[in-house]
Amino acid sequence: MSLVYKCVIAGLVRYWLIHIDYWQTIANRVEIATPLNSWKRLIEGVYLYDNNINPYEGDSFHESPLMLLFFHFVMKKTPYILPLLFTIFDLTTGLLLYKTSKSFAQMFKESQDKVKDDINADSKSMLLSNSKLNEAPEYVLSVYLFNPYSVLNCAGMTTTVIQNLLVAASLWGASSGYRILACAFIALATHQALYPVLLIVPIAILLADINKGCNKCSYIRTLLVFVLCWGFLIYFSAYIMDGSYKYVYNTYGFILAVPDLKPNIGLFWYFFTEMFEHFRLLFVCAFQINALVLYIVPLTLRFKKEPVLLATVLIALSAIFRSYPCVGDVGFYLSLLPMWKHLFTFMQQKFIVGCAFIITSALGPTVWHLWIYSGSANANFFFGVTLSFATAQIFLVTDLLFAYIKREFTLKNGSSRQIDGKPAKLVLR
Amino acid sequence: MRTVFVLCLSLLLKSHYVRADDFKEEIFIKPLPPTHLYVYFQFITTSEESSFEHSHLASRSLGEVISRFQVDELHLTLTEGQWKHSKWGYPILDAAPGAELYAWFSPSVEDVDTQWRKLSATLSGLFCASLNFIDSFNTVVPQMAIWPTGAIKTNQNITSRLRYATLPREIVCTENLTPWKKLLPCESSHGFSSLLNSRMIHNTNYHSIGVHVRKMCKVDNCSDINIEIKQTVALVYDYKIIDSMDWSFRKLFGQGLPGACPLSSSSKIYIDVSSNDTYSFKLSPSPNNVILSQRGGSDTMLAVYDIKSYNHMMNIGVKYDTKDKLLVTIPPPLHFTRYVLGYGKEFGGIVTEITNNYWAPIDVVLLENAPWWLPIQLSSLRINGKAESKLVKSQYFSPGRSRQKPYHLELLLQLPPKSTTTVTIDFEFVFLKWQEYPPDANHGFYIGSALISANLPTARNYTSLPITGSTIDSIINASKQWYPAVFRTNGAMVSLPTPDFSMPYNVICLACTVVALAFGPLHNICTKELVLKPVGSAISLRQKIMNLFKRKKD
Repeated sequence: MSLVYKCVIAGLVRYWLIHIDYWQTIANRVEIATPLNSWKRLIEGVYLYDNNINPYEGDSFHESPLMLLFFHFVMKKTPYILPLLFTIFDLTTGLLLYKTSKSFAQMFKESQDKVKDDINADSKSMLLSNSKLNEAPEYVLSVYLFNPYSVLNCAGMTTTVIQNLLVAASLWGASSGYRILACAFIALATHQALYPVLLIVPIAILLADINKGCNKCSYIRTLLVFVLCWGFLIYFSAYIMDGSYKYVYNTYGFILAVPDLKPNIGLFWYFFTEMFEHFRLLFVCAFQINALVLYIVPLTLRFKKEPVLLATVLIALSAIFRSYPCVGDVGFYLSLLPMWKHLFTFMQQKFIVGCAFIITSALGPTVWHLWIYSGSANANFFFGVTLSFATAQIFLVTDLLFAYIKREFTLKNGSSRQIDGKPAKLVLR
Repeated sequence: MRTVFVLCLSLLLKSHYVRADDFKEEIFIKPLPPTHLYVYFQFITTSEESSFEHSHLASRSLGEVISRFQVDELHLTLTEGQWKHSKWGYPILDAAPGAELYAWFSPSVEDVDTQWRKLSATLSGLFCASLNFIDSFNTVVPQMAIWPTGAIKTNQNITSRLRYATLPREIVCTENLTPWKKLLPCESSHGFSSLLNSRMIHNTNYHSIGVHVRKMCKVDNCSDINIEIKQTVALVYDYKIIDSMDWSFRKLFGQGLPGACPLSSSSKIYIDVSSNDTYSFKLSPSPNNVILSQRGGSDTMLAVYDIKSYNHMMNIGVKYDTKDKLLVTIPPPLHFTRYVLGYGKEFGGIVTEITNNYWAPIDVVLLENAPWWLPIQLSSLRINGKAESKLVKSQYFSPGRSRQKPYHLELLLQLPPKSTTTVTIDFEFVFLKWQEYPPDANHGFYIGSALISANLPTARNYTSLPITGSTIDSIINASKQWYPAVFRTNGAMVSLPTPDFSMPYNVICLACTVVALAFGPLHNICTKELVLKPVGSAISLRQKIMNLFKRKKD
């Protein structure tokens, strides 16, 4: 019942925000709308397409042709349904995350039962009870529905709403064991924003864990289905654009080469504004490698037993390091964190990170106004705020991982921090 | 016998060349009551179409550019100041503020864009202007707004051979005028061009120098084609600057007119004396002739001086009888204004207001040419505040690409009689890379003017030459059904948001540090394992320092 209440309230809030006079302001905020996902650019692209001008000829539209076709259809037939559509998409995302975390709780319980015997007697009390496990999905749903980042993202009607929906759907598909569903959705998300391509690794592991049997065959099958889906989408998009692959430069090319330096909450904009021209390519490669491939192998090797944790961390890292991040991405991975509620006791920087989130969220719009509208601050102020926001997010992710390995250690060796009666401390070696 | 033949041949050839090349110089002066004076010079050199290897009067340097790059028609203007159409009426040739260049290439040119870049680079050297900054990112191909004025075969696609670019930031100065004068047969030593002292003409409110090259039919059936090189100077003096309404050549140019250029076949000065009825004045010396021209419902009185008949220093001047008369100026049938909307440096809009004062609807083509750093959104186009407007008869939009292509919008509008039409389009400010900002980045960025081309149904305030005419006497009694005109609106300026130009090292260091903040711990987590390590009893600060030294000794 509480589920229905939550959804209704969250839906009403979103729907109301789309209809208030400040909607335009919300939809144009740099923190919410980036050149990649903004509603304004979507409208422009659809308008150009409607006027028989190829939207990929210019520099105003960076969505995939599928989105172009979808929104062209919706705006032609039923434009009044759009606010409702975005609200429903966002609520569905919340519900899919709820389902995902429910099956995650189930998986967690099974794996906990399996290793029960290896656990230090001292730490038996740390094992999670059923009631505790059942709490997590509720928190996940609440955080997604009510955290201001997700609410504002939906209210701004950015296409990140759809991206979140696709990622959530693929996570749900993977946690329920539907291989084709999971792969299709992750391919769709990848086709839209490229960075979700990282998630194919945790999804493959998750699917192999759930559909028991030959692990390697499962990995290969998942990868194959994903590649087929993605290839089909790329081909189909070209088919929509009359066989021209030019759109690739405006979608993937735009994401990878970072030509638009409009400020956002990420690290790229000021870095590449101030970059020396002949080092540009080097640093674009470095930053994109950092966001796309650098962490995937080591993290996979380290956390292959915890695909959901891996997925959470990869989503978070790609949200921090992607070229055009927005608060919608942040809101999405924040809502996954309650699944790791049991790790919070091991986290050391909760307070600092929390404060940093609140302060930067308040300071960001303030210094933006000072810089752009009153002209009394300059770009460095906003850069400073985005830098500290990124730092806070990084602390959050690394703290979560440290908390996980600390809990692992404690479960195995007991909670006492003593060697032969002498005080000791945990260090990495 | 043989010598006679050679002599005959050389005479024939000589007479041929003399006949082929022709030079005319003209001045047109029109008071723009109550406060300004318009002075327009034109120097017309006609030459037979050839490779310019044997040019007699036409400038060889320019001729070579034309023949080398296979240019069919070329218009280059360098302008400082803004022509005020609503107050001053229409000029003979309109020009955009800064530098403006457009050209049609011959159909035999295969790669028009490369040729265009080469042409602009060469002209840049010829006129000492920054035309070399013309590239694909500020070039448009107007679809409806501009049409050639010369004899170009229309059986091929003309628009695809046209390129148009403006450099609104270009500052016009002596260094452009001097090479421009060198192209004239008499340079600046004789004739009307000796009046063009940069000291005087750069003091004006508006000055524009131009070179216009086009092909002209020699005979009616166009079997033979001449090349016409027209060099123009348009000046608008403010009576306040010359200190009185009474003007004379000595006041305007600092010297009298020393006479005609000996190479010219005609040297005439035309003074529009129509305003004599309301603002009576006296010309001295009195003109050779006064002609009444009736054109499209408006009468113009022209006083004509044929300078060829004078062979002494002249100082043509005007003395007004009454000086304290105020007159309401009647605005021309079509006038316009353009401005930038919005505050802050995030979103804005460009507004173009076009007023039709005439009693019948007028069709105009509006060409908005926004640079790539000012991305206009077609979906935000509003005509009189409405997205769907019946006034738009046709529309062309070519979206821009950053650092590659400007945004180009053309609208064919039908302006209702006695009304003002407002065209609004929104744009978003672009954040440039720090090295893309010009010096003095906070000075602002110039937006070029929009083009408005119209077929005016009336010749009120219209002074342009008819399309087939090249000299000023061709406007006399030249009534037509339409009076084609291309106008440039005023330019505008926006101030783009700037980064901190002193920060590159700091920003690179700080951003990389944040990336490293993620890399370090993640590397540790992935490669190391947790172990318990005994900690000794707490040690004092002094001991710690001692330990440091100890370690060093090891």
